[in-house]
Amino acid sequence: MDSEDSRDHELVARLKRLDAGGAGLTPGFDYDQMLERHAAGVARARRGHRAARGAAVALLAVLVGASVWRLEERVATDEVVAEAFETQAPTQRPRIVRADTYLAVAALEDHIAGLDDALNYARASGGTAEVARLERTRAELVASYTQLRYAERVSATF
Amino acid sequence: MQRLAEIHVPEDLLASARAGDREARRALFEQVAPGALAIIRRLVRHRAMADDLLQDTLIAMFEHIAEFRGEAPFGIWVHRIAVSRCLMAFRSPWQRARVALESWTEEAPSAPDSEARNGDLIDLDRALARLSPVTRTVVWLFDVEGWSHEEIAQAFDRTVSFSKSQLARGHARLRNELLGPMTAGLGIPLRSEIDGQ
Repeated sequence: MDSEDSRDHELVARLKRLDAGGAGLTPGFDYDQMLERHAAGVARARRGHRAARGAAVALLAVLVGASVWRLEERVATDEVVAEAFETQAPTQRPRIVRADTYLAVAALEDHIAGLDDALNYARASGGTAEVARLERTRAELVASYTQLRYAERVSATF
Repeated sequence: MQRLAEIHVPEDLLASARAGDREARRALFEQVAPGALAIIRRLVRHRAMADDLLQDTLIAMFEHIAEFRGEAPFGIWVHRIAVSRCLMAFRSPWQRARVALESWTEEAPSAPDSEARNGDLIDLDRALARLSPVTRTVVWLFDVEGWSHEEIAQAFDRTVSFSKSQLARGHARLRNELLGPMTAGLGIPLRSEIDGQ
């Protein structure tokens, strides 16, 4: 610690010698040139501010113009859609209909049960081609049934 | 060369300069500018940047000369303005980028004066140049200009421990540079050093 302190003292002494040994510096400008430099700097800054203000005003004008244009376009589009809707016949208008899945599920279950009976009979009677056809149909119906039940579960959570 | 803090400006010259007398202001410029440039060049190594800061300092001095109440010597008042302008430059993102860029592009920052006669001092000057601007400023203000940690902390708008840690870091780096210049770094300040953290 002491040696670090003494090294610091030595360093400070050398820094002071460096400061004392410094010869005179002359500025790169005299008083009049300084005033000219300053005036030029102020003028440059003013030009910069003017340019920045001009750019900001131009940008603002573009933004306002774009907003008005988009607003007008949207109003016009809405009017066209409304007119087209009014001119359509009631039967052509898109409709949203809520349908219960109960009947579809019940019909599918009945159909699958009927296929199971037919499959049992076909297997008992030894008709392999008939068994294969019935199994394909049953697989399709079971896939439809699964999708329907899934849709029911999903809609129940909303 | 007379140090800025030791410059004595006659009261009548100050009064004339305050009144806007052009010749008095020119005389004041000639009396103060070399000392102000010396301290600025100690803190900011780049010549063009130092000239810009000298101009800022002297313009601020003339703009606020009416506010100088003579509580401290005029040279110390100008010294404070010069240091404050340098610190503002260090805080400016644009100037920080400039300093960082110049650390790469300037191979060897030139000594601010012709002290290069003494080899021992050349090494010290080069070692100082390799410090980050913030660390160099703290070292110079504390060790040479005699500022206290409290004054430095106030000038930087930081804590006293910031000043102490910067000083310790500066001394350690100077010692390393002077003991083993070949093992020293490239002199490129870390971002944290430029930021003074």
